[in-house]
Amino acid sequence: MLKTAFLIFVVLAVAIGGGGGSVWYALKANEGVGAVTIGQWTAYPYIGTPDADPYSKARSASEGLLSLGRAEGISFSAQRDSDGEALRRECTYMVEGPVPSARFWTLYAADQAGGVVRGGERRAGALHSHQLIRLADNSVSISAGKHASPGNWLAISGVGPMTLVLTFFDTPIASSTGAADVVLPSIIKAGCDA
Amino acid sequence: MLRLFYVLLVGLIGAGLVHIAVLLMLPQFSERDAWSSLAEAADVYKAVRIDASDGSPPLVKAVDPLFHAAACRFDLDEAPVHIRAPGNVPYWSVSIYNRAGENVYSFNDRATEKGALDFVVLTSAQMIEVRKAMPEDYKRAIFVQVPLGDGIVLVRSFVPDPTWEEATSNFLARIACSKD
Repeated sequence: MLKTAFLIFVVLAVAIGGGGGSVWYALKANEGVGAVTIGQWTAYPYIGTPDADPYSKARSASEGLLSLGRAEGISFSAQRDSDGEALRRECTYMVEGPVPSARFWTLYAADQAGGVVRGGERRAGALHSHQLIRLADNSVSISAGKHASPGNWLAISGVGPMTLVLTFFDTPIASSTGAADVVLPSIIKAGCDA
Repeated sequence: MLRLFYVLLVGLIGAGLVHIAVLLMLPQFSERDAWSSLAEAADVYKAVRIDASDGSPPLVKAVDPLFHAAACRFDLDEAPVHIRAPGNVPYWSVSIYNRAGENVYSFNDRATEKGALDFVVLTSAQMIEVRKAMPEDYKRAIFVQVPLGDGIVLVRSFVPDPTWEEATSNFLARIACSKD
């Protein structure tokens, strides 16, 4: 009798613990279903829409997320540089290359919790395309790091891992034509503080 | 031994069922979703700023650092909701979310004449009623038909540099979110 009760207890413990724990783990892990990856950049065009998969829906509900709509824009994030190493705030990166057509776009660095990394004392922590200098072939070259740099500079402060977030507003690439054919700038490490 | 294996197998099948059940129920029962956060901050039909203007954490994770945003909740079962704001800002966009925080419709200032923010959210049945006798108020409005009861309207406004802060803050502060 006691043995049966114990076995039932084991079954319930495995079922509830394993089931709840696996959901918690799946929502914490950043690898999403339905991701579009271009170079180092990843976007989730379906997150926060009725077409999203159940995992994305559960994640946006538990985080209280209100995502950008198709007519508003699309957001790409990058956690690694072109060598596959994690982006760090104590390093300087060059974000270089062509950008797709959009009314305007913004670039900022986020910490692990998704908060914006401040740009230091007198510097905004974000850049937008109306304030950038472009190269002759209409591509951009932005230096992202702690140390001031000529040309375009995205100021970053602090230490630790970071995510670069590139958001295009009012852009045809957010519509159903697919974000997969788009070319985005590459992220090249220029150097690190020792 | 075989019995223990059997018990673990039943446990794992149970874990699979619990996993699916929790996953599907989470959006319905979450108390941290956008709707709940907004409900704590303001009443229905009351527009509230959701970005971290004073450095506090944002009410809802939705906003780019170069944007200001305001949201209001509405209930189409009562009446259509009319959203207006006077003033000119460099760029604004609007998203309409359902109760679960899913984006069902969005548009930006290029969708309107002269970029004025003036639109009505309503259901198809209410649209038929409005067509019969167009209220004077609705003459210049954009009509957005959505199959919703409860919902959220979110207005985002671009702040190109700090000199625009005041203008966009005023623009968002004057958003009127009313059921007529």
